[in-house]
Amino acid sequence: MEATNGKTKAGDWQNFERILLPPIRDLHKLDVYEAEYDGYQAIQKVLKEWEPGEVVNEVKQANVRGRGGAAFNAGLKWSFMPPKGDRPRYLACNADESEPGTYKDRQLMEYNPHLMFEGILLANYAMQMDACYVYVRGEYVDWIDHMERELEKLYAKGYVGENIFGSDFSTDIILHKGAGAYICGEETSLMNSLEGKRGYPRIKPPFPAQKGLWGNPTTINNVETLAHVTLVMRHGADWFSGIGAPTHPGSTIYGISGHLNRPGVYEYPTGMLITDLIEKVCGGMRDGKKLKAVVPGGSSVPPLHADMIEGVTMDADSLREAGSMMGTGGMLVLNEDTDMVTYLRRVNHFYQHESCGQCTPCREGTGWLEAIVTRIDEGEGNLRDLDLLIDLCDQMEGRTICAFADAAAWPVRYTIERFREDFEAKCKPAVFDTGGVTISA
Amino acid sequence: MSEFDIKKPVVALPDMDPEPQIPEEDLFFTEEELERIEGFTEKYPTNRSAVMPALWLAQEKFGFLPPEVMKLVAEAIDIPYAQVYGAATFYTQYYKKQMGTYVLDVCCSFSCQACGSYDVLDYLEEKLGIHAGETTEDGRFTIQEVECLGSCGTAPMLQVTNGPYVHNLTEEKLDQLIDDLRNDKMPPFTSVTMPQDEDEMGGNRRSDVEHTDTYRTPPAPERWI
Repeated sequence: MEATNGKTKAGDWQNFERILLPPIRDLHKLDVYEAEYDGYQAIQKVLKEWEPGEVVNEVKQANVRGRGGAAFNAGLKWSFMPPKGDRPRYLACNADESEPGTYKDRQLMEYNPHLMFEGILLANYAMQMDACYVYVRGEYVDWIDHMERELEKLYAKGYVGENIFGSDFSTDIILHKGAGAYICGEETSLMNSLEGKRGYPRIKPPFPAQKGLWGNPTTINNVETLAHVTLVMRHGADWFSGIGAPTHPGSTIYGISGHLNRPGVYEYPTGMLITDLIEKVCGGMRDGKKLKAVVPGGSSVPPLHADMIEGVTMDADSLREAGSMMGTGGMLVLNEDTDMVTYLRRVNHFYQHESCGQCTPCREGTGWLEAIVTRIDEGEGNLRDLDLLIDLCDQMEGRTICAFADAAAWPVRYTIERFREDFEAKCKPAVFDTGGVTISA
Repeated sequence: MSEFDIKKPVVALPDMDPEPQIPEEDLFFTEEELERIEGFTEKYPTNRSAVMPALWLAQEKFGFLPPEVMKLVAEAIDIPYAQVYGAATFYTQYYKKQMGTYVLDVCCSFSCQACGSYDVLDYLEEKLGIHAGETTEDGRFTIQEVECLGSCGTAPMLQVTNGPYVHNLTEEKLDQLIDDLRNDKMPPFTSVTMPQDEDEMGGNRRSDVEHTDTYRTPPAPERWI
């Protein structure tokens, strides 16, 4: 297939030709992937003609920003790996997508798993890794079985294993099935889980590149990031950085859910207007209701008020300016019937349930956040509780080993700030029982 | 003098050595299973890493993971029991108590919440006469309220016993599902197409699956939480 998709900018999204999930029937099968999608050409070319370091530079130059949430330049992350020594080196592919509102990787693993496998091989060659562990969340059994079958074919054909494609480079891919823990999507927690321990995050430093899996140099990348690596190596860094938003190039898979006429997984360039996504792509709001809030990147990012989305585009920089984050690109859209207190109560319940319990501010804090918001939701709270919640957030953010506590505190802080009227409507006024004594100012 | 008495802890400590629930004659791994477990350990540099796949295998065989099964796993991969216990109790998909034959995991995280997952939960609770977290008397069904299952576009949805997903739930669909499960017919794997495929390819892009579903306009919830 020719790389027909030249320089699609977000404004020209109607003419965008999908690159991650192109409309090719049975693309998930190895023979179709090879025959109709130039499959495994990039890795063969790279093995013959490229030095590992050149691959790292190319990916760095393409500015592939991590699609797992942090939007960090993947090539730059790769360059943190120490030079090859005696120690084994590992890549971990993070397919533990459990962020509420996010379901893009599942679709990618179902429809185009070989793009991910090829990206893994490229990354393994670039960083001279001995093996890649793909950590898939335990709920995705059907998709794990399906990838297991495709991986067997790769081993049988000599694409993975000893001396891949007849070169002198050997590497393995191993699928690992999780067992239901949101925290295992955090990179250090994922490593502990792979080692067979409880999924407790580790203190950084030492960073994974120095001391990761089993104490050896490790890099962790998201499924979609690795899929993009294949495209970069196939078409070149310039081609890739010409697509989508200039500072956050490429296409991305938008998983859109909520009160819409046509929710679903869509692939479009980065930098799409949120209003376009809602009105033109997803067919507008369900039942013609008005928009109330947009949560642009999974439950941990601050929600945006309907007044705030005019002109905001889906890329890391625009969303940061607007007061939110790109996160995973899993977007939730809520209509005017939504009570933001109830919404926040459920989000807090999620964090309370999923906190690993290692650090006190998070373990106790998430429980109290839920308890206080529940109190407000049931009409028992008063206005002072809002300040109490913000105070609690202050005491959680940045005081724990991983960013989970921050992720739990942000929705609380910004939902209260941006939807204060919903909270005030449910709160009792802050009146003190003075036992009949009149207090005058 | 402190009033603290080590024999009467404030919080009840878990009983790590209770009465066995699996009869002793059934409590073993066959040669073939041991071989599979051996295969797991070969994939990782340390035996301890094989604990998760080994626990999955044990759960498939015994249905749940009481302490005696954890001990069996510990022996099979040659690591201390405490390490297996730690891992098994951390992850929610490992069942620590006996569950129904079919566990209905209803996703109630915020995308599903906004599309009526609590209505689904209410309907199931009424239909089966149990609350979330309980098992029916005949031991057939357990209902659980779970966190995001990663299928937010087809909300509300549920998963049957850590297995197939059932998307775009309606009352008719739930009735059908319960009837099927009463006859031991598991729901099939359903591939959800992309809306863009509907436009460009006329729907299904996989010729190897029998059942496909598409994204639909979700219902409005009656109960929010």
